[in-house]
Amino acid sequence: MSTEEDTLKAKQKLIEEQKQKTPTSDPTLPTATSVVGISKRFGKTSVLENISFDVAEGEALVLLGASGSGKTTILRIIAGLEQPYTGHIILHGRDVTELPARERGVGVIFQSYALFPKMTVEKNIGYGLRIRRRRRKEIKETVNELLSLVQLEEHRKKYPSQLSGGQQQRVAIARTLAYKPEVLLFDEPFGALDTQTRTHLRREIRALLRKVNVPAIFITHDQEEALELGDRVAVINKGHIEQIGTPFEIYNQPATEYVATFLGAANILDGVARDSFLEIGSARLPLPEQPKYNSGECVKIVFRPEDVSLSKTEFVKPGNHKLSPAVVEEISFVGAYERVRLQLGKGSDSSCLTDEAALLTTQAPESYSAKSIIATRPKPEAAATRLHVGDRVVVSITSFTILSPKQARQ
Amino acid sequence: MRHVRGFDIIRPLSVGMLVLMMLPLVFLPLLSIFVFGMRNGLDKFWAALMAPEAVFALKLSMATSFWATVFNVVFGLFASYVLSRYNFWGRNALIVTISLPTAIPTAVAGFALLLLWGPYGTLGRFLAPHGISVMFTAGAIILANVFVTFPLAFGVIKPVFDTMSRSLEEASATIGATRWQTFWYVTLPSLRGAIVSGALLTFARAVGEFGSTILVSGNLAGRTQTAPLYIFAKFNEGQIEAANAIAIVLALFSFLIFSVLFFARDWLDVD
Repeated sequence: MSTEEDTLKAKQKLIEEQKQKTPTSDPTLPTATSVVGISKRFGKTSVLENISFDVAEGEALVLLGASGSGKTTILRIIAGLEQPYTGHIILHGRDVTELPARERGVGVIFQSYALFPKMTVEKNIGYGLRIRRRRRKEIKETVNELLSLVQLEEHRKKYPSQLSGGQQQRVAIARTLAYKPEVLLFDEPFGALDTQTRTHLRREIRALLRKVNVPAIFITHDQEEALELGDRVAVINKGHIEQIGTPFEIYNQPATEYVATFLGAANILDGVARDSFLEIGSARLPLPEQPKYNSGECVKIVFRPEDVSLSKTEFVKPGNHKLSPAVVEEISFVGAYERVRLQLGKGSDSSCLTDEAALLTTQAPESYSAKSIIATRPKPEAAATRLHVGDRVVVSITSFTILSPKQARQ
Repeated sequence: MRHVRGFDIIRPLSVGMLVLMMLPLVFLPLLSIFVFGMRNGLDKFWAALMAPEAVFALKLSMATSFWATVFNVVFGLFASYVLSRYNFWGRNALIVTISLPTAIPTAVAGFALLLLWGPYGTLGRFLAPHGISVMFTAGAIILANVFVTFPLAFGVIKPVFDTMSRSLEEASATIGATRWQTFWYVTLPSLRGAIVSGALLTFARAVGEFGSTILVSGNLAGRTQTAPLYIFAKFNEGQIEAANAIAIVLALFSFLIFSVLFFARDWLDVD
């Protein structure tokens, strides 16, 4: 008896601890779904390691990762279609880890939508209620409500094969909403659609979710989609969470090099932390108050192409941090903006050795390898100061993020 | 723009040649059944058809084929489900074994059954002292029919199972359905076309089965004589009219089944 209580307490404690580690975006909202310390193995290969996150009531969380990162497995474990090796799934305070898929009350929108081909739109939407043996009148009312919610009233008698991709997706969503799911899980919801329809449907789904106020977890490999859809984004890499945060945080304050490079273009330079500043080659950048870095510690800085400012003179705009002189290597026009590849002057990058290597060498060596970075300039700026290949410019950056190996490992 | 082209001689020639080839192969033999059968007038034909032994033979054929079909559809579904959903050691061997009877001469199939269940057979000899005889009964005919036709239903149903998306069943499970509900509402409707074609194929084949039936049934007129056996028996006795009447019925029956298969397939597979 007492051992059972103990394990229950231990479980509760574990859950509490994990919750503190991964706070939801808005702590005032109750937690709808918790994934606690999930790991998964297929045979000897580990595909998920200690995955934990919370989804708040009404929140949309996006799991962003390359194919094979394990994000689909996370979704399938939450849905109950796959069993985790360790960990728990908590839906509205109920531990459902041991429950089969049908008893979890989770709504899954499959990539192929998985509509029942021999049932009409109406029958598909009413399926969840029919198998729950609800009264005919109740089913009819719910189906009517949902049909008007997803604006498919005139298609109610059609079969799935007679609908467009977007319409099928709406049927799939309505079909899950019929039984009031605890959470909605979207598996690559726009994978099968063309770019224009994608953008359109993304907004539609976002609006729909706000209306019904059901928490949702999306899976995608498309970073633009992740930033637009999610209240928060979790970047998954090789079975673990690299970073979880708001789209703004993920994009502007990437925690790891992987996150920085996965979400759009990123420039990364090596540097060394000194007592009061950061040394990047010959440039000195300010060090933030927190976190503290040891003098001589290796760090990397990340900045986006749009954070780069180019000037033909030595003059650097106030607030910008001067980095290095550079030579224009390539200029390309990419529609909305101009992209410039620059070769930084020698000594713009501080190479840094690992602790063991530092013990062997007494002198901190400097790397003199040339490094390329990418800058983007909006049209007006590009027109104001025309650049040509071979031009010498001064590179400064408006903002940057420091990655330290410590942080990267978490 | 109108497309004008010259007269293509190859087309009518090749079509004509095909028709000529089919004449002695199929059209003429079938035609002769009807010509001979109706030679002595409709009332003679009707009388031959209504002979008690003839009626019995037709009824027995229909009944045994029906039960063989029921068995084949149910177990064909089961076998297809198991063999396409689960991966296990020896799965392919099992698939080959199930399909094997298609390649076995039907007389061999009947002989094999006889050796197993016959009064002196491997198993039959233990049953015979208890008064249980499997062979030379309607049950034996069903057994032979199942043996010969099982690969047909299986062969039609399994490919549909194989190509069916797993996500349909997974979706049904996440919506809250039990395994049985999922099978009944989601899996089975998708198999409707395959089940009907499998059943019709089995039935048509079973009604016409001769080689295995003649060995296991004992060919007792009015007791275990099916329609094809009746044709053979009457022909041997020189009663061509009697044989011919049943032959006409069986031929018409296969036309019917074939037309249903041919024209209903589109209707059955509507999504």
